Amino acid sequence: MVPTAGEPAAGDSWGMLACLCTVLWHLPAVPALNRTGDLGPGPSIQKTYDLTRYLEHQLRSLAGTYLNYLGPPFNEPDFNPPRLGAETLPRATVDLEVWRSLNDKLRLTQNYEAYSHLLCYLRGLNRQAATAELRRSLAHFCTSLQGLLGSIAGVMAALGYPLPQPLPGTEPTWTPGPAHSDFLQKMDDFWLLKELQTWLWRSAKDFNRLKKKMQPPAAAVTVHLGAHGF
Amino acid sequence: MAAPVPWACCAVLAAAAAVVYTQRHSPQEAPHVQYERLGSDVTLPCGTANWDAAVTWRVNGTDLAPDLLNGSELVLRGLELGHSGLYACFHRDSWHLRHQVLLHVGLPPREPVLSCRSNTYPKGFYCNWHLPTPTYIPNTFNVTVLHGSKIMVCEKDPALKNRCHIRYMHLFSTIKYKVSISVSNALGHNATAITFDEFTIVKPDPPENVVARPVPSNPRRLEVTWQTPSTWPDPESFPLKFFLRYRPLILDQWQHVELSDGTAHTITDAYAGKEYIIQVAAKDNEIGTWSDWSVAAHATPWTEEPRHLTTEAQAAETTTSTTSSLAPPPTTKICDPGELGSGGGPSAPFLVSVPVTLALAAAAATASNLLIW
Repeated sequence: MVPTAGEPAAGDSWGMLACLCTVLWHLPAVPALNRTGDLGPGPSIQKTYDLTRYLEHQLRSLAGTYLNYLGPPFNEPDFNPPRLGAETLPRATVDLEVWRSLNDKLRLTQNYEAYSHLLCYLRGLNRQAATAELRRSLAHFCTSLQGLLGSIAGVMAALGYPLPQPLPGTEPTWTPGPAHSDFLQKMDDFWLLKELQTWLWRSAKDFNRLKKKMQPPAAAVTVHLGAHGF
Repeated sequence: MAAPVPWACCAVLAAAAAVVYTQRHSPQEAPHVQYERLGSDVTLPCGTANWDAAVTWRVNGTDLAPDLLNGSELVLRGLELGHSGLYACFHRDSWHLRHQVLLHVGLPPREPVLSCRSNTYPKGFYCNWHLPTPTYIPNTFNVTVLHGSKIMVCEKDPALKNRCHIRYMHLFSTIKYKVSISVSNALGHNATAITFDEFTIVKPDPPENVVARPVPSNPRRLEVTWQTPSTWPDPESFPLKFFLRYRPLILDQWQHVELSDGTAHTITDAYAGKEYIIQVAAKDNEIGTWSDWSVAAHATPWTEEPRHLTTEAQAAETTTSTTSSLAPPPTTKICDPGELGSGGGPSAPFLVSVPVTLALAAAAATASNLLIW
């Protein structure tokens, strides 16, 4: 199902990327968990938290390898470029009070949307990567990231929140602009990895917060089951 | 008639005396402040006096030897810190003060050492600075904080001169912070800067109130409790994990335990009777580095009160109990040598207390043999 907006031009990899991203958005929703007799969202929140830690660990080595492949100055520890371009990347940064006061649904939705976008862009990165080893690492990471998305979807389903559907015209497309030079492309890659890393740190905090909020209800569910003589 | 004239005369004389007095004893001008570099040579001219004027120099009121003079100028070679002071030159004959110099000997600043740390994440962070070697003269520091292109305010610490505080406006930022410091004094200038991500400088303060207690009736256990550092603003949303280390004082090797939550832990493998030293450190669950080790707690595991046994006292005790009832002696009789000969009774794994039990049993058996049979 290819939308009319963002029709791929001949040989335009970004157009193909737009196509892929649209397909991703229209994947069938994760089937709702069987809510009778389950322990509530607690265990799946824990699992999602664990996944963010695993991914963060995996990203560290992947990013190191990829930045070395990009070469200097991208792999220098003090590299501190201004944030130009890459405007469509989902930003993890948020005002402290706003972050604290996010309701559960919004918190989960922001995470889900962010990783959907990021996964899409990462798949684009994979297509451009020069070495087979890099493509393998990226593909592996994409699979893990897909798992995280599924896990977040599971939590949302357990809590009865609908999965975010993209509005027409707001699909994540990355239009490079007139002459997207090699250097600017590398800058985009740099920011993608940076944003991914920051999102994983943020998600750990997000799921920590959710875990703490969910704990009392989960215990109540267990007691309830016990009373039924299971 | 002549009365007003003497009065006027006195007034004029007094005024003249005052002028002469002030001319002699107070400076013509405020002392000239001068900074010079340690180890260098300096020549101090006597104000506007001619080179060949006859002058005497004094430092802090003490005369200086004339061989230091070059004409009316004072020459100091190889300045040392002790050369700092108030130098004054006087007209040799009239003792009229010509010029004063307040000399400070020091050094230009070397590159400052700057470090930043967040022990109050997510509220903010602070930066500390110092000079690696002293300059011996006053320095001024200027700190600027940039977040991308945005300038942030670094508020001076009310108590510490070399610290300032920055509040986070946003969390989870991908843009690095750049903290620059410049230091200058009368002899020179230096600067440095550091760049870092929000997450890398997170380091909590050590856990507080670490207390270790023995566990009654458990000779190998110690119960340790502590509190999250009071400076960590939000342990609910930003939980800490802990690292505990302990060793008996007599050994050098530490045992380590990492704890993902909770502020208590029971050590179960302590050496009986040995005094232990215990410390705890804290870290945010996901980001940053471990805190320093807490203040150490000391504790010794519980030990049984030593009992002093003599066989006479024990036999007397057993005899009384046997006469009071015809029932067999109390349960301390585990292994009766008499019973063993006839085919044995139940064996119990009381390894430690066997020697004591056997002695008691022997005494009991003897007593019962004497009395019952």
